[in-house]
Amino acid sequence: MPKKEAPAPAATEMVPREHELREQVEKIEKESGAQAIAVALRDGETGLELHYHGDRWFHAASTIKVPILLGVFAAIDRGELLPHSRVHVRNRFLSVVENIPFRVESGRDANSAVHNAIGKMMRVDELAYHMITTSSNLATNLLLGVIGPDAVNRTLKELHVDRGIELRRGVEDELAFEKGISNMVTADGLLKILVMLSEGKAFSPALSRRMMDILHGQEFNQGIPARLPKGTRVAHKTGEISTVAHDAGVIYLPKRKPYVLVILTEWDPAASGRSRTIAAISHTIYEYLTQGPGDE
Amino acid sequence: MSDPAPFAEVGGMSEAPNFPLRVVDGLTLPPEYRKALRPGEEWKDATGFPRQLPRYFYEVPSWDSAMKIELASHFLLWEFIQVDVREAPPLRTFPRYVPCAITLLAVCLERFRDAVGTLVHISANGGYRSPSHRFSKNATPHAWGTAANIYRIGDTYLDNRSAIERFSLIARQTLPGIWTRPYGTPTGYAEDHLHLDLGYVLSVPRDVKS
Repeated sequence: MPKKEAPAPAATEMVPREHELREQVEKIEKESGAQAIAVALRDGETGLELHYHGDRWFHAASTIKVPILLGVFAAIDRGELLPHSRVHVRNRFLSVVENIPFRVESGRDANSAVHNAIGKMMRVDELAYHMITTSSNLATNLLLGVIGPDAVNRTLKELHVDRGIELRRGVEDELAFEKGISNMVTADGLLKILVMLSEGKAFSPALSRRMMDILHGQEFNQGIPARLPKGTRVAHKTGEISTVAHDAGVIYLPKRKPYVLVILTEWDPAASGRSRTIAAISHTIYEYLTQGPGDE
Repeated sequence: MSDPAPFAEVGGMSEAPNFPLRVVDGLTLPPEYRKALRPGEEWKDATGFPRQLPRYFYEVPSWDSAMKIELASHFLLWEFIQVDVREAPPLRTFPRYVPCAITLLAVCLERFRDAVGTLVHISANGGYRSPSHRFSKNATPHAWGTAANIYRIGDTYLDNRSAIERFSLIARQTLPGIWTRPYGTPTGYAEDHLHLDLGYVLSVPRDVKS
């Protein structure tokens, strides 16, 4: 099990701009009531990076679907799968705890497209789209069933993402959750994947672009995109369970190179204001990057 | 039924002229097909008992023909050969090969459909699948073309004990000798579909002499 928390880098190690941004994020964290917040940023335009508790581990929730997407496209890259390969849609999975069968509740998926296809087949690219854009848990487990968690982890190693992502099981494996077996991520780990995707370096520029196209279709936009100006394009993936709320994506603004931003947050189950906090951090970073030093 | 596929003789065999698919001896197929289909080979079931795999197959030339060919009044060939990425790659493209006993299964399902009075849906991977399919760990009648996994009957999804046991009883009352998988989660049981099969039936077309 990875260690739970690591201290943020000392302020003296940072350039003044990063220090200033860090203080702003810290202020939002204090006011939010969140138990923990991590932020990782890489700006393609200025080269600015921020790693705010970037190596602290969080329950991945649905952000784990980004590494799984990478695993699916690795299989496509190897020729083991085609985007139009067909997969039997079946709602029966085996827990990593004693192989006990479980199902994905239809109410947990934002749309019914995949559940409506039970007994039939769907294409790999359709499942990948539903896995990301509406965060379909059924689509996720089906794809993971085809490629296998080990293959995803091998892919991450091959891409030199050797820290910050722990894929240990499918989603909605409640038995595993109760035993403390969960998928984990750090902000830095997700940042590395998204930087690779945005720079076209995951397998090939064409495959990277296809994955980015899927991430652009995201339908849950209450986090990173919520307070960005109209016309901003965000390719991203959210993740939320009772104790965490995350958003991780690539932000495209007019007339500048994109920036990659990962915001992970941990909460008391009764707490509110999760999306608002993520949106506030995103907005702060947007303003910081677009106003430049000394403009405030 | 208008598919122009030939039913010419192959290896000294011919098939009845009212059925548009030609019969092939699996042992004469190219190596990649023989490796995946294992025609005539022994294969052990879950208890370790050896079963002999089918040797004679209908050759399905195209998906278009599978969509048109009726195996029974309410069952078209395509419904029996839907397989996903877990099937061996040579068997996911056409021509495809399906054991000759598939016609017996279709007749049984037609009778079952009459008994339930509504549509009977066979699931993907739930009709014929080869011994090389990733789901095929031990000999299963699916590799003989004599088993069907039914996930829906009319508007009823067979994903609970009540539905599975109700239709299982109808199947056993309607089709003498049919076997249905009991409801449950352990290996050998089913809880999200109705599995029924005729056993390890080998169908050898009449003209086959060898």
